[in-house]
Amino acid sequence: MKYLGKKLFTLVMTLFLVSVIAFLSFEIIPGDVVSSILGTEATPEREAQLREELGLNDPPVVRYVNWATGVLKGDLGVSYRYSKNMNEMMPVAELVGDKLPVTLWLAAFSLIMIIAVSIPLGVMWAKSNNRFLDAALNVVTQTTMAIPSFFLGIMVTYIFGILLKWFAPGGYVSYEKDPWGFAGYLLFPALSIALPKIAMTARFLRNSMLKEMQSDYVRTAYSKGATKRKVMYGHVLRNAMIPVITFLGMIIAEIVAGSIVVEQVFGLPGVGRLLISSISTRDFPVVEILILYIAFVIIFVYFLIDILYRVVDPRISEK
Amino acid sequence: MIKIENLTVAFDGADAVKNVSLELLDGEILGVVGESGSGKSVTALTLMGLLNEEAVVKEGRVIFDGEVIREGGKPLNKALYRKYQGEKMSMIFQEPMTSLNPTQRVGRQVEEMLKLHREMKPAERKDMVLQTFQSVGLKNAEAVYDSFPHQLSGGMRQRVMIAMAVILNPRLIVADEPTTALDVSVQNQIIELLREINKTHNNTMLFITHDLNLAKRLCHRVVVMRDGEVVESGTAEEIFDHPREEYTKRLIEAVPSRMNRKKREIVRVNPVIEVRDLSVFYKEGDNSLFTAGKMRQVVYDANFAIYPGESLGLVGESGCGKSSLSKAILGINQNINGQVEQYTVRPQMIFQDPYGSLNPAKTVGWLLQEPLKAAARMDKTKAMSKSQMEEAAYDMLHKVGMKDKYFHRTPAQLSGGQRQRISIAQALITHPGFIVADEPVSALDVTIQAQIMELMQKLQEEMKVAYLFISHDINVVYQMCDRIMVMKEGRIVEIGDTEEVFTNPQNSYTKDILYLSQA
Repeated sequence: MKYLGKKLFTLVMTLFLVSVIAFLSFEIIPGDVVSSILGTEATPEREAQLREELGLNDPPVVRYVNWATGVLKGDLGVSYRYSKNMNEMMPVAELVGDKLPVTLWLAAFSLIMIIAVSIPLGVMWAKSNNRFLDAALNVVTQTTMAIPSFFLGIMVTYIFGILLKWFAPGGYVSYEKDPWGFAGYLLFPALSIALPKIAMTARFLRNSMLKEMQSDYVRTAYSKGATKRKVMYGHVLRNAMIPVITFLGMIIAEIVAGSIVVEQVFGLPGVGRLLISSISTRDFPVVEILILYIAFVIIFVYFLIDILYRVVDPRISEK
Repeated sequence: MIKIENLTVAFDGADAVKNVSLELLDGEILGVVGESGSGKSVTALTLMGLLNEEAVVKEGRVIFDGEVIREGGKPLNKALYRKYQGEKMSMIFQEPMTSLNPTQRVGRQVEEMLKLHREMKPAERKDMVLQTFQSVGLKNAEAVYDSFPHQLSGGMRQRVMIAMAVILNPRLIVADEPTTALDVSVQNQIIELLREINKTHNNTMLFITHDLNLAKRLCHRVVVMRDGEVVESGTAEEIFDHPREEYTKRLIEAVPSRMNRKKREIVRVNPVIEVRDLSVFYKEGDNSLFTAGKMRQVVYDANFAIYPGESLGLVGESGCGKSSLSKAILGINQNINGQVEQYTVRPQMIFQDPYGSLNPAKTVGWLLQEPLKAAARMDKTKAMSKSQMEEAAYDMLHKVGMKDKYFHRTPAQLSGGQRQRISIAQALITHPGFIVADEPVSALDVTIQAQIMELMQKLQEEMKVAYLFISHDINVVYQMCDRIMVMKEGRIVEIGDTEEVFTNPQNSYTKDILYLSQA
């Protein structure tokens, strides 16, 4: 319980720091919100009026406090850039809320693929005595790791979308209209995120298992008359997973960042694209919320990893 | 009957075991003794079918009750061996901590034996494990069943390993240095347990050890091995009381005993180091934002002094505070109360593991000069020219009995004994009046151990250096030290002249360890 409290406190502190840094960076980077909204032709009076409306004349500290209290009350602010209709500003919550499920599902699909494929692959690889298989997997994983996901995305689109016509490039289906179509559509973007990570994780797990297989307790297990299969799954895997869990944590953080690029390539309406366009238009309220979201996801994932650690390795919780 | 016939096993083309034949009679405990590299463990692992994949059984046979289960030149028949492993033969290893799976509850690990070899209901299996735990002296069997290895003490872990080895009551139990990693008192209990198991169940035991005293106590017959070959075999009496071979005689003589001790007169004025009311603390956990590190006391009110040319032995079980005390004296741990008064140049230290404590990337010459450079950095008057330093290094190399040619070698090119000589040279090259030697001979074979002890005594005479000599082996201390200091749970319980403490111990704990370490 004390542990959970500590973790929660760290989470809040980190989010606070991230929000301050994101806020400050918008103070520092060149470019003016008002001119980016109104364009270069606007009259000085109109500019001054908008500046006053958006509260940009207040000192930065006041603006940060106003914004932060809003967020704490659940008001995420309004976008500078998008509007709902002629008279209404677009709330950030609504803007992001539309696009978040796409990104989250994309990340979830990739993660499921990574875990479902890399773990059996890594175990099989460590178990095999076949030199040909070993060499083949070595080449394949190394190549896959070396391909950046945006390029992989283009190749996946070309092969599965254009040549094989398994999906229509750019033909996104909303999940409210057709959940299965939505899932099917995310499959290929998820694949291009997952492939290099599968290769990395499988390699990492294999090496970890090979190292564990030198341990004394493995010899003990063999001395009981256990088969190689029983030794691998019953003893080696769990111990070999301990470093892999940390590795998976880093992978998840990378997925969140990687999805931004892949959304662009596949034309997915996720938060990644929203983030890029909002930065270029200085749409500060949107960017700030998205950065907070990314920070939250990453910290939360590390929190889960930490708990998983304690489950897998009984030695940790007592230190 | 279990037999090994003309066994030859090679690693990387070099024979580790050469033409070894052993015969295990029903119900006997056969000891295999030898120094490291003698091939005793390889022989046992071949018998158990547990050799690494790199090892090649070139010749010979393993016969178990008339069935040939391993034949030279042929690969291991794993399926055949699995019928024997666990069921008819089991093994107890040296390090119970690493030999148990750290992420699995020990009850389950023992139960695996039953899962692999018996058709039983889960409840029956658990009952049988609990019974076996009780029979090997694990009192709180239910709690042990649900424990992970790290939650148990070293002795309990080894009992779990023994429970695992005996649960199916196999014909043969192979024990490879089962007590080497344990404290003396625990060691004794485990030996007694093995003896009892052998008596009640009449299993045949192959007991592998480097410790001749243990073999003498436990085994019916003994085989002496050296460099992969059998030197001599016979009943325990024959081997220990009337050894025929020269090597066996040397081995027995090298074992530190309570005889032939040189007595010296030490003038006890002007100590090199004086410790007054010393308490030592350790930080528990890290300092974090939320909790300041708690201090745990590990040494309580230590009082003693060491005089020039004297050896003070420090004895106690693991965790008693021996190392903490020495670190505090050397100033490595600064969380102390009380005083440490030094009347000499900076004291040096000799460590237990000569493999880990020498930088593998440097040459012997560099390693020997390093303390001189460090001394010059702290005290400009000690600065020496390059040639002077080199000369001092060569001089020290000769003093520890090594030739010039070793000057340019790296630690990897030296044997264990040679490395420990370099460690000693490193400690002595700055001519300190006082050295802390933390288990300096514990990792060495008996014959090497005797040479290193002799070297340390010779250098003590020549250089008038005082030693704080830490050891778990009270017989080594008896040979080496003028006075002896016994520690228990952070307190010094007895300190006095070695001869006096040995003949007339005052403290009950001292009496215990003296009794337990008797040959």
